[in-house]
This record gives sequence, C-alpha cells and structure tokens, in this order.
Amino acid sequence: MAYAAGGVVLLAGCASMPDSGDLRGVESTPRQDTQVRVFAMPPSEDATPTQIVQGFLEALTSDDPDYKTARQYLTPQAAKTWRPELSTTVLSNGPGARADRPDREDTGSLSYTLTGSKVATVDEQQSFAPASGPYDKLVHLTKDAKSGQWRIDVVPQGVVMGKSDFQRNYMSVNKYYFASNTTRTAGTALPMAVADPVYVRRHVDPTTRMVNSLLGGPTTWLDPVVRSSFPTGTALREGTGPLTPDDRGRLTVPLNDSAAEVGTGRCEEMAAQLLFTLRGLSPAVDEVELRAGGGQLCSLTREGAEIVATRGALHQPEYLYFVDGERRLARIAAGTSDTDPDPVPGPLGEGGTTLRSVAVARDERSAAGVGVDGKSLYVTSLVAGSSLGEPVLSSRGKTEDDRLTAPSWDAQGGLWVADRDPDAPGLYLLEDGGGEPVEVRTPGLDGRVRAVRVAADGVRIALVVEEGERRSLLIGRIERNTEAGGTDERPAVTVLELRSATPELEQVTAMSWAGDSRLVVVGREEGGVEQMKYVEVDGSTPDVTPPAALTGVKAVTASEDELAPLVAYSVDGIVRLPSGAQWQKVTEGTAPVYPG
Amino acid sequence: MSGDSAASAPGRPGDRPERPVGRKPAGSRWGRLFEGGLLEGGVQGSPVIRLFMRWVRRPLLPVMRLWRRNIQLKVVATTLLMSLGVVLLLGFVVIGQVRNGLLDAKVKASQSQATGGFAVAKQQAEEAVSVTGDEETAADGRPSQSVIQWMSDLVESLSSGGQGAFDVVTLPAADASGSGRGPRASGQVNPTASVPAELRERIDENTSAAQSYTRIVYDTGKESQPALVIGKQVNDPNRDPYQLYYLFPLTQEEKSLSLVKGTLATAGLFVVVLLGAIAWLVVRQVVTPVRMAAGIAERLSAGRLQERMKVTGEDDIARLGEAFNKMAQNLQLKISQLEDLSRMQRRFVSDVSHELRTPLTTVRMAADVIHEAREDFDPVTARSAELLADQLDRFESLLADLLEISRFDAGAAALEAEPIDLRDVVRRVVSGAEPLAERKGTRVKVVGDQQPVVAEADARRVERVLRNLVVNAVEHGEGRDVVVRLAAAGGAVAVAVRDYGVGLKPGEATRVFSRFWRADPARARTTGGTGLGLSIALEDARLHGGWLQAWGEPGGGSQFRLTLPRTADEPLRGSPIPLEPKDSRRNRGLDDAGLPSGGRHGGKSATAPARQPGADGPARDPFALPPTAVTPTADPTALPGNGARVVARTGSTRMTPGTPAGDGTPHGGGTGDGTATRRTSRGEPDSGAEGPGGGSASRDGERDGEASRGR
Repeated sequence: MAYAAGGVVLLAGCASMPDSGDLRGVESTPRQDTQVRVFAMPPSEDATPTQIVQGFLEALTSDDPDYKTARQYLTPQAAKTWRPELSTTVLSNGPGARADRPDREDTGSLSYTLTGSKVATVDEQQSFAPASGPYDKLVHLTKDAKSGQWRIDVVPQGVVMGKSDFQRNYMSVNKYYFASNTTRTAGTALPMAVADPVYVRRHVDPTTRMVNSLLGGPTTWLDPVVRSSFPTGTALREGTGPLTPDDRGRLTVPLNDSAAEVGTGRCEEMAAQLLFTLRGLSPAVDEVELRAGGGQLCSLTREGAEIVATRGALHQPEYLYFVDGERRLARIAAGTSDTDPDPVPGPLGEGGTTLRSVAVARDERSAAGVGVDGKSLYVTSLVAGSSLGEPVLSSRGKTEDDRLTAPSWDAQGGLWVADRDPDAPGLYLLEDGGGEPVEVRTPGLDGRVRAVRVAADGVRIALVVEEGERRSLLIGRIERNTEAGGTDERPAVTVLELRSATPELEQVTAMSWAGDSRLVVVGREEGGVEQMKYVEVDGSTPDVTPPAALTGVKAVTASEDELAPLVAYSVDGIVRLPSGAQWQKVTEGTAPVYPG
Repeated sequence: MSGDSAASAPGRPGDRPERPVGRKPAGSRWGRLFEGGLLEGGVQGSPVIRLFMRWVRRPLLPVMRLWRRNIQLKVVATTLLMSLGVVLLLGFVVIGQVRNGLLDAKVKASQSQATGGFAVAKQQAEEAVSVTGDEETAADGRPSQSVIQWMSDLVESLSSGGQGAFDVVTLPAADASGSGRGPRASGQVNPTASVPAELRERIDENTSAAQSYTRIVYDTGKESQPALVIGKQVNDPNRDPYQLYYLFPLTQEEKSLSLVKGTLATAGLFVVVLLGAIAWLVVRQVVTPVRMAAGIAERLSAGRLQERMKVTGEDDIARLGEAFNKMAQNLQLKISQLEDLSRMQRRFVSDVSHELRTPLTTVRMAADVIHEAREDFDPVTARSAELLADQLDRFESLLADLLEISRFDAGAAALEAEPIDLRDVVRRVVSGAEPLAERKGTRVKVVGDQQPVVAEADARRVERVLRNLVVNAVEHGEGRDVVVRLAAAGGAVAVAVRDYGVGLKPGEATRVFSRFWRADPARARTTGGTGLGLSIALEDARLHGGWLQAWGEPGGGSQFRLTLPRTADEPLRGSPIPLEPKDSRRNRGLDDAGLPSGGRHGGKSATAPARQPGADGPARDPFALPPTAVTPTADPTALPGNGARVVARTGSTRMTPGTPAGDGTPHGGGTGDGTATRRTSRGEPDSGAEGPGGGSASRDGERDGEASRGR
C-alpha cells in the first residue's frame, strides 16, 4: 500500500513542472555572433564602369584576407602596385563615386572621384588617428582593348570604407610593450607593460596578425618610451601558417633565429607580451610556447605572465577615497556595496586640514591633498600619528579655480599636479611625493592645464587643457631625459606629442583612466549635452557600452582594473555604477578618487 | 494382449528399413555433390550455390520446425508484427500531424516577422533617399549614393532584432546593376549555399514575397540545420532591386519533433511489448489444454484407453475436455464390447469342439464296430461303412485342428522350445512322407543337410509344420521332385520346401494360409485335409517367432519357407534362403508357358503370414490397428472364428529378381508397397491379383484346395 502511494506521488511529481530541486550552476552560452559579413563578388561580365567602381569599393568591405576579389577589379598593373595594407581611411558615410566627364565613356578611359568626409585613418602601423576634412581621391578606369572589360588602372593606395563598415570589420587590440623611461620602479620590480592600441581586421586571422604586429615593434608615437623584449629582427619563422591555439588554449609561436639566443627571463617577458596582447582575442590563448632555432625557448601561462610582468589593469584598488562632508579624507572599501565611510588614518583623515581634492598613491600608503582654497598641496602618510607637515607646493592664483588642480600619482611614486594660475601656469612633478617640484616641460602645449591624470604605466599622461572656451582632452607621453637638460641630479621630464583623444568634445569637464588604454570622459559636444563616455587613447571609440547617463557630473574616477565600479561626484553626491546596474548613491562627499 | 509384447511389431519392421532409405539418399547427395564438384568442374556455380543455400538453411531449420509446430510462437509473432505495423503507422500519422502543426505555427510567425522586416527595409531605403537627396543632388541622374555601407547597416539592424531566431541575407538581383551587389549575411550564414536557387529565380521574376525550406549552411564549423527562408525583392536607396531573405532556423521545431518521436517510439515499444505479452498469455491459456488434449489423444491411440483429461471450470476449454472425455469413454466401451464378443466367439468354437468330441467318441466307437464288421455286410453297406469311417477320420482331424486353432486363438498354445537339429526333424518327416511319395511317384530330396542346423524350437510343432509342407508339396508336385532345403545363417535357420507343380496364381501366395481357403470355393471339400493345416503351421511358426512364407508362380511350382530364429527370443532379421528360388521361371527368363519372356512377370511370391506371434495382436484389436498404414487390415467379420488370421506379411507380389537374394528379403517383402495392406479373406479372391494370372485360369482346378492341404 505504501509502495503504491509512493508510486502515485512519484508519478504525480513527474507529471508536473518542478517547483523545487537541486541548485545548479548556469553555463553562460556564448553570445551569438550576429555580425554582418559582406561577401565580395568578382566583377561580372560587361560590367559598367560604375559597377566596377562600386564593386571594388564593396569588395574592400569584405573579409577577403588579401583583397583578392578587390584586385580582380584592377588592371594587372594596378593590382601589383596597389597596397591595401598601407592605410585605411574611414569616412563618415562611405565613399561616394562621382564620374568625371561621363559623356566620354566610349573612349575607353574614364575617371571617378571618390568623395566623403574623413573620420579617421589607420596608418601602416595599424595605429588609429582621428581625422577630419574631405576625402577626395581619383580613380581611373580603362577599357581593356582585348576583352572589352572596364578595369581600374589608377587607384588610391590603401583601403577606404564607411564608419560602420570599419567598426564591423576592424577591432582595436592592445599591443603590450614595457615602459623604458622609468628611472626606477617603485614597490615592484616587475616591468610595467604599456598598452599600444592598434586596429586589426576582425575576421582575418587576428591572432597571427597581432603577433606579427607585436613583433614589428611599437607604434611611432609610443616608441621612444617603451622597449620590446623581442630582439631586433625577430619575426615569425618563414613559412609559418596561421597561428591557432590548440584545444587547451596553448599557442605555439615559432620565431626566427634572431630570438634563438635569448635567456629564459627575457623569453618569459616576450611570452608575457604575447599573452597580454592576445588576451582579448578569440579563440582564447591560455599559454604561449615560444620556439626558435628548432627548440623550445620557454613556455608561459596566463597566470605566469602576471608574475613576470604587470600592467595597470592588474592593480586592484583596495579603497575608494573621497573628501567627506567635513572636508576630511575618507574611504570606502572598493568593489563592495558598503556605504559607510571611514576617515583614513593619518592627518588628512583627522580633519586638521580641510581639503578640496585628494590623490592617494597606488600603494595606498601616502596621500596628497589640496587645501580647500586650492592654494596648498600637502603630502602625508596614511599612517595614524604621522604629521601633516608643510605644504610641498603652493599656488598664487587669484581665485580658487586658478590655483592647483587635483594631484595624480604615477606608479613610481611621483606626484603630478598643475597650477592653473594664468600668470604662471605649469605642470609640476614631485618625485617621491616630496622634495623640490620639477616643472615639467610641455612643448607644444597652449593653454592652461585644468586636470592631470597619469597612467599607471607612468609613460602616458592625460591632460585637460583649456584653450579659450574649449577644454579638450590631450594624451601625451612622458619622457625623462637625463642628458637633455635640467640639473645633473634630476632628469628633465618632458611631456611630448600631445594629441587629442576626443576631438569631437569641446568641453571636457572630468576624466579618468579606465583601463590600459582607455579613459572615461565627461564632456559636451559642440551643440550637444553633457555626456559620459569611454575613449581610447588613440581617439577611437571602444567597442563597449557607454556608462549610463548621469547629469551634473563634476568629477569622475575609474580604476584601470575594469572590475572596479565607476564612481562619480554629481549633484546627488558620490555615486557609483556597478557592472550591469544603474547608478547608486554611495554617500555624501566630493572628489572621489581611486588610488592613482 | 499383454502376451503379445510385439503388438506394434507390424509397424516397426515397416519403419526400420525406412530410416536407412531416408539416410541413404542424403549420403548419396553428399557423394553426388562431391563428385559433381570434382568431375563437373565446368559448372561449379550450382554446387557452390547449393552448398551456400544449405549452409544458410541449416541453422534456420530448427526455427522453421519450431514455427511449424508451435502455435504459440506463431500467434505471438503475428501479434508482434501486426502491432508493430499499427504502431508504425500511428507513429507516422502522429508525427506527420505534429510536424505540420509545428510548421504551420512557425511559418505564420515567420511570415509576419519577415513581412515586417521587408517593410522596415523599404522604409529605410526611402529615408536614405530623402536624407541624402538634399546633400548630394545628382544632377546627372547617376546613382551618386553609395549603398555599400547602407546595405551592411541594414542587414545588421534587421538581424539584430532576432538573435538566434533568424538570420538575414541579402543577395543581388539577377540583373544586378549599381552597387551593393555583394551578398551580405548575418550570423556566419553562407548566403549562396543557404538560399535555394529556385527561390532566387522566383524572387527575381516576382516582386511578391516567397518562401521555401532549405538548410542553412554555416561558414564556421557549425552544423547545418533545416530552416524556413522567406525572401522578397526590395529596392535600395538608388531604386535598384536587391533580394532580402529572412532565414528562420527550425532548430526548435526539430527538437520538439524529435521529442515527440522519442515519446512515440517509447510508447510504441511499450505497446508492442504489452500486446506481445497479452497474446502470449492468452494463447498460453488456450494452448495448454490443447496440448494436454493432444497428449491424452496420443496415449489413447497407444491403447491406454483409461486416460482422461483434467477438466476444470465451465468454459469452452472445459467443454472441449468434457466432450473429449466422453468420446474416450464411448470408445473404451465399444472396444471392450467388441473384445468381449470376440472372446465369446473363440470360446464358443472351443466349446463346440469339445462338446462335439464326446459324442464323436461314441460315434467313433460305433463306427469302428461297424467298420470291423463290414465284410459281413453287403457291398453297398460295406462301402457305406468305409465311407463312414473315412469321414469320421476326417471329422476327427478337423475337430482336432479346430481345437488346436482355438488353443492358439485363446493364447493357450505353449512353446516347449529346446535345441533341436532340424535335420532329424526333416528326416523323420521325409521318411514319414515316403509312402505317399512313392504312391505319387515323387522323389523327395533333402539339400543342405551336411551341417547341423540347430535351433531352439519345439520339435513337435516344427515337425507338424514341415510334415504339412512336405505332404502338400508331394500331393501337388504332380510327380515331380520335391526339394527340401535347409540352411542356417546369422541368427536364423530356414527350411524351404520346393515343388514343381502347378504353382500359385498371383495373390494366392497369401491366401493359402487362410482358414478353409480353397482356390475354387464352388467345389466341395471332399478330399484332402481339413483346410486348417497351413493356418496351424503359420500359428506354429509365429509361436516360434518365425516366419512362414509362400512363393509360387503359375506352372512354375511353389516354395514354402519356414524361417526360425536360432534362439527363441531373438527377433528375425532375415532368412538364409531366398523366398523365390533361383530356378524360378522368372529367374530363368521364362514366361508362364515355359517360354523365355522378357517383360512378363509371372512370378508370384507371397510372404504370407508367418510373423512374430504378435502379428495377430493388432488384428485382434481392430481399434488399435489404424495407426500404421502399413499394417495389414482385415475386416474382423470376414474372418472365421476370430479376427486373428489376418496376415499381413504378404509382401510384394512381384518381387524383383534382386530382392530375394540374401537375408534382406523379408524386409523388402514386408515393407514394400501397398500390397502389404491387401486383405485376405476367405472365398474372396483379390481381383487385382487375379488379373495377371488370368491366363492360367484353366489350371485353377488342379490347384484347388492347395491351401487347405494339410498334414
């Protein structure tokens, strides 16, 4: 009887949907790839010149690895000389083709003009640069005497396509090199990897192309301040096919004989460069094995790479710091939903000095604060009982806005700050957070520096520069040169080749590093409203969703560790944006900063 | 009956030779195959095929046998097959309906989605025209606008609406002009392979939307899958047509369908198993009583008439059992009635004989007195006295024979067997017949008496048999020699008596052993023996477990052969002397008239009666007789006194020259053909046997009474 009853219960259980049961993890299904691909078509028989030109332009947007189909639109001579890899021109709306002298079609010679407005260019080194201005190139067609087919015999070098096609076909990947200009590394002996973003074609074997690009060296802009662990002349061994990781994510990279003599330490740095570079690509690479001269040089796993070298995104902040309602320095554990701030130990947290803005060193042992009037910069230790001391730097600006900016620490313990005094503007570096401030030379910089943020790698600096009514975001590289000038003891520090990362924004109000080569920017376009967005250091827009809109943002901070939530100071106080959620209020206060 | 331990003997000797016959061809087939394979090298195909067929069939034979014999297997297998068929049919119908239902829903949803998509594409093209129309006015009317990017953006925006639910593909129209000709596809779809060519042609010709089923082929390693593709021709901003396709993968539908399939298959399997089990149970319920009835019937037919079926319940099976039992009971009753009747008749004959004996003794004594004094009478009276004495002698011997026969019938005859030398018996008989032979002018020769011929036998009975045979031979030998041949071989001894008289007509060889048989029934039995001599001789031979057989041919004389086992219990396997003598006409190639004859077959042999004593068992029990067709049958009512005289051992009436040779004769003769079933009944000559002998009908008279000669 009991068995029968049990059977009935069991059957009843089977016959209805379960409302309880075991806990089980959900495997995330990979997001389906809905990318649109264009399939290039070879020229059809007796195609008109217009069809030839349009077909050629269309073939440029396809995934054809070597543009074989596009070359079929060219005369054999032009096909030989045309080098699509030289450059990529991105137009806002795709190239238009206008026929010149259309009435002379029957003469066997015809010209078209490709038109459009330039948005950006990608040079031979695959380095992206924003561009503007009209695009105007000539395309010339001839009619083959024998076959009677129209073909292009004069074609501009490189590839041209519209913006959305560019976004579909290309992706930004960071190459990693090691910072070379640092006189010393503070706290850690690991070489600091610097991201060097380049654009590669998304569907055309990106792994191999990235390896080749990495071996080819850094882009020109970054070259003076970085070094590559790969010996000069290192390349993939000849005849190497496409590189693909095996089932366990292990990628074998055969190198030529130039790399055959490197030691294990150097080799591991090389492997770390590769692993950092390939980390975002699919299929994922978990381990790199370098081979040269017929033998294995070394093998390094992804975890091993973080022991060999470091990069900014690997540093996880412990606390989020801000200035609380009593103008003291307070902190909240980062990455938690904690909303209860604690004053930091040490003089800045004790309320002896009212603060306007702060910066905490990346090791979170010392902090710098600018007084509420913006006049004085204090540097002190975050240890209870230490004293505040005298200000290390003072400004003589007339108003609060004309005095010191918020300071910024670099990875080596240097403290950067700018003086906004219109009479004596300047960018200063305090080595080790103290001593005599060094005035940093900024050749080519017009206008006043309104904000300073140094990248974790210490070789790039982001400045908000005010020039008239316009405040733009500029990225420069930091060169330290012991010979070129300055005193004997101190190297001259120069910020060189400042370039705009957000040419379209005319009012940048706040910014912060948000990754190895990424910043989060609050600004306003011409005629637009204030918005918050991510930008790459090369000026391109990264392929990530922008943060949710927030009004009245006065300050923003993000960690280079992308897991830490974005934090902003807005009219609602200090708010943060956890991943996948809306803005949340944290607490009252101003000037939130992550270490750095 | 229990005394006739060899009740089924008539059947058994019939069976025995059959087996070798059956086995032999099999062996010879192998031999033939072997020879064929070796000698007929040119036609190797057929033996190989035959060998293969046999090889294939061999393991199937037990299965076939089981199939033929087992009704349960048949019913269960048929049920399984039929239910499987129904389940399959049902499965096809249900799956077809589910498939149609799924497809209908999917097609409707897909069509509305695709229609919306086509509208969006059209709208975007119009918007693009209106936007760019202001900027770049193409004065020359040429397509100034690049649709390359527009088209890619369109595909992307369309496909982003349904990740995984559908993919979007554009293809150039057949008369592609302008830009944007390159196929575009979302979701790694291979556009040209996934869109069927017929659909493309249709879209080219017709501006309305069309749909088709296809397989989506992916450029990545992903497996292709069935899909519904809906396409339409749409204009781009330059008013150039292109083809826009929506591809809806039917993955989900296929999953649902395979779920239904799996469910149906499982359910079907269960149903088939259930039906099979039900059939097995039901058939078992029916077959078990039927098998029991078959077993009981077999036992009944084997004579165990008291067997009954167990009947439980009141259902159809129980009724069958009851009817069966009733039938068995009635049979048992009838059989015992008939047995009683038969026993009564035998006792009556025996009693009559005994009762006649007492007055006969008195009559005899009186007749002897009269006979002694006959010389005192007048000649007529004296003659009457002599006749009286003669007929009294005859009466006495007839009575004695009848008593003897009734003793046999009653099973009262006892065999007093002891080792005897048959030569002594033969000598005694021959010397006893010497006076008669001299009277007839016949010489009796004894052949084969150099060696002792010893057998365990009853000397008195053997002597009686042989005397009967020798006297008969002398009487019917027409003055010619009579040869008595003795032989011993194997486990048997034989004595054959050969005469060269009128012989036997076809069919007579068996009938000579019948009681009171005579060739011409019209003639009164006034002379000779009682007509029971050979019958008694046959019974004597049977008592020994031996054979008494006759052979004869018209005009060629006859031969009677007595074969006895060397030891009393041993069954006979053959006889040392062939039944048909070597000097028969046929063997010499002569016809009835003594002329050489090629094709005629005048020879008539009859291996009549004498068989094991049990041979009369079945005859006495007619209801038990039928089982073996080979067994001779007789109408009991046609037999005088009792039904036991029916003998079967007639054997072949036409023996081939070869068969008599050796000791195989009795077997061959006994089993051969339909003649073994011939009925022998007094006074009814077998018409069939009469036929060939018609030519010598004129001599019938001379042979009259041949069989009745005795003693």
